[in-house]
Amino acid sequence: MNGSRFYAVALVCIIVGAGIGFSAGYFIVGQPGPAPDPEMPRLKAGFIYVGPIEDFGWTSAHDQGRLYIENKYDWLDTAYIENVDPAEAGEHIDYLIDVEGCDVIFTTSFPFMDATIAAGARHPDTIFFHCSGYLRSDNVGTYFNDFYQLYYLNGLMAGALTQTGKLGYVAAFPIPELIRHINAFAIGAQEVNASTTIDVRWMNTDWFDPVTATNAANELLATGVDMLAFTEDSSAVPLVANATDDVYVFSHYSPMQSFAPTSTISGQLVHWEVMYEDIIQKIYLGQYNSTNLADVDYLWLLQEDAVELGGLFGVPINPIFIPDLQAINVVDPVLGTISVYDLVMTRMAQMSMANIIFEPFTGPMDFKNGTQWLSTGESADIYTLLGMTWFVDGVIGIIP
Amino acid sequence: MSLELTASSIVVAATFFLIPTLGEIITERSGVLNLGIEGMMISGAAGSFAVAYTTGNIWLGLIAGMLVGGGLSLIHAIVTITFNRNQVVSGISLTIFGTGLSGLLGLGFAGLPLVPLQPLQIPGLSAIPFIGPVFFSKNILVYLSFIMVPVLWFFLYKTRYGIIVRTVGENPMAAYTQGIDVIRVRYLCVIFGGVMCGLGGAYLTLGWIPLWVEGMTAAKGWIVIAIAVVGLWRPVGVLFGAYIFGAFEVLQFTFQPLGIPPAFLNMLPSLTTILFLVMWGILLNRSKVKRIIGAPTALCVPFEKP
Repeated sequence: MNGSRFYAVALVCIIVGAGIGFSAGYFIVGQPGPAPDPEMPRLKAGFIYVGPIEDFGWTSAHDQGRLYIENKYDWLDTAYIENVDPAEAGEHIDYLIDVEGCDVIFTTSFPFMDATIAAGARHPDTIFFHCSGYLRSDNVGTYFNDFYQLYYLNGLMAGALTQTGKLGYVAAFPIPELIRHINAFAIGAQEVNASTTIDVRWMNTDWFDPVTATNAANELLATGVDMLAFTEDSSAVPLVANATDDVYVFSHYSPMQSFAPTSTISGQLVHWEVMYEDIIQKIYLGQYNSTNLADVDYLWLLQEDAVELGGLFGVPINPIFIPDLQAINVVDPVLGTISVYDLVMTRMAQMSMANIIFEPFTGPMDFKNGTQWLSTGESADIYTLLGMTWFVDGVIGIIP
Repeated sequence: MSLELTASSIVVAATFFLIPTLGEIITERSGVLNLGIEGMMISGAAGSFAVAYTTGNIWLGLIAGMLVGGGLSLIHAIVTITFNRNQVVSGISLTIFGTGLSGLLGLGFAGLPLVPLQPLQIPGLSAIPFIGPVFFSKNILVYLSFIMVPVLWFFLYKTRYGIIVRTVGENPMAAYTQGIDVIRVRYLCVIFGGVMCGLGGAYLTLGWIPLWVEGMTAAKGWIVIAIAVVGLWRPVGVLFGAYIFGAFEVLQFTFQPLGIPPAFLNMLPSLTTILFLVMWGILLNRSKVKRIIGAPTALCVPFEKP
């Protein structure tokens, strides 16, 4: 018995030792910068991530932005903590400020909002930016890149290419951001094919839950859907499309076209680095300080190059679908008879201009209760869109 | 509305529960509760994906998944059988450890594409309308789960080894006095459970959703423990249990458009487990409860040689 106990203890020691050895090289959060120039003031930015930086979605997109600014500026150091539980965000923020010495903190998920505001009050000299929230204070600003214009462009393509006239949408949680995306997708689809319907399934479990997303997508296919779009953080939906004949998909957030090379039509991509660069530059130059952020609210779209159309960077539409899109013509009251491909490109150009001349949410449109929201030709204001809680025509499904 | 596609999704989702549950009931039948299922499954998922991607051989990936699951369960076996420590604490620690280990095993493999196990049409059977596409056009792990049910039933109830396993779980002292090596039996049963959990993880990343990302089992492993109870620790019982829970996972999206809140539908699996236990508790008197739906008597009880 003593012999076997010895081996057991030895085994446990080896496992634990190997783990410690491995982790020693792995869990260092601070990144050593280049040799500091004593003349040049330095800045250190800390990032609080909700998921792992290898999530191939939301958090990895933010981390790409962090790496970009870290490499670009000699005067900048960065640190990050991944997998942060929103309930413990406050302590992690304190750690980044007190131990790592960060001057700027980015909290990159909505549930960190209250903790960020509280930390802002605790550390009045530190600058905070919170992603996707609506609360600000003197030293806490907010920032977000939104996809609704891209979902509208995806909708144009989906409406043109669907054979069954039924589109499916897998959505993580019933919040205004996702309702806005679904509505924009529906508006695009109905613009080219007025009889198109959009079926929505809410996951309501987690932003990242590929098993549930797969079940939801398969169940949508059982109802006769042949085009899938989604707002959740995994690549489960493209994998479902890849495994099923005659089902097509729009990639979300990351370049997911590689998961479904012949089924991905287009998608939505983000460039957080554009926004992080702007914010960190303005902080460095003193334009933003710890007293003037109460009205700093970034909401960037196509115009600022903060988002990009496509399932791969640099590929707005998968080339294998371009001939089909060029062959389908629609009649637009202003543009006349135009192919769907040209329509997508025209709309994208119109929304990318310095002075945007096209808004997907343009009247006539009604509120949920049937009263008029937008009269003919009237465009929605961004604040209504940010608080949207009802579906437009063509969307089937409930908002729980 | 295609009933065939819905039923097919249920089979695919249920297999993910069935494979690890078949392992867990053998573990629990020998008197050891292993709550580390979630950890073994996610580590198996990561390990199998990493090996399959690196070697390009999906079969090596499956073996790696089983080895990872078996290896982790060995830790649980050492702690609970050799050292007689608390099985609940060790199991939960194993889940936490396995979740961390999965991140390490899968480091650098997140978001990479992989060609999964392909469906295998069973000649003859796959041509049957409805039944064929639903049950007999799946990958080999689904068929393995079908075969394992009667095999484990035969093993538990018709072989000498099955009687030994059940005796060790019911009355280890009696088994010991009959000259049975209780420690060895429990070790083997725990490792078998771990191997099946690793295989369940491999089914996820190599057979179902060909992808590795941290946290991808999303705590679904805990459902396995409920299914073992609902299935009364019997292979045929857990077959039904796994399919009922698989059906919940899929049908919630069928019922959602009817206006039933998703939060309520998400609650149904756990609610069913509780209702099930209450129902049996009301229907049967105490001695029958033990005989028909009782857990193995020595479950969670450490065995010390006299």
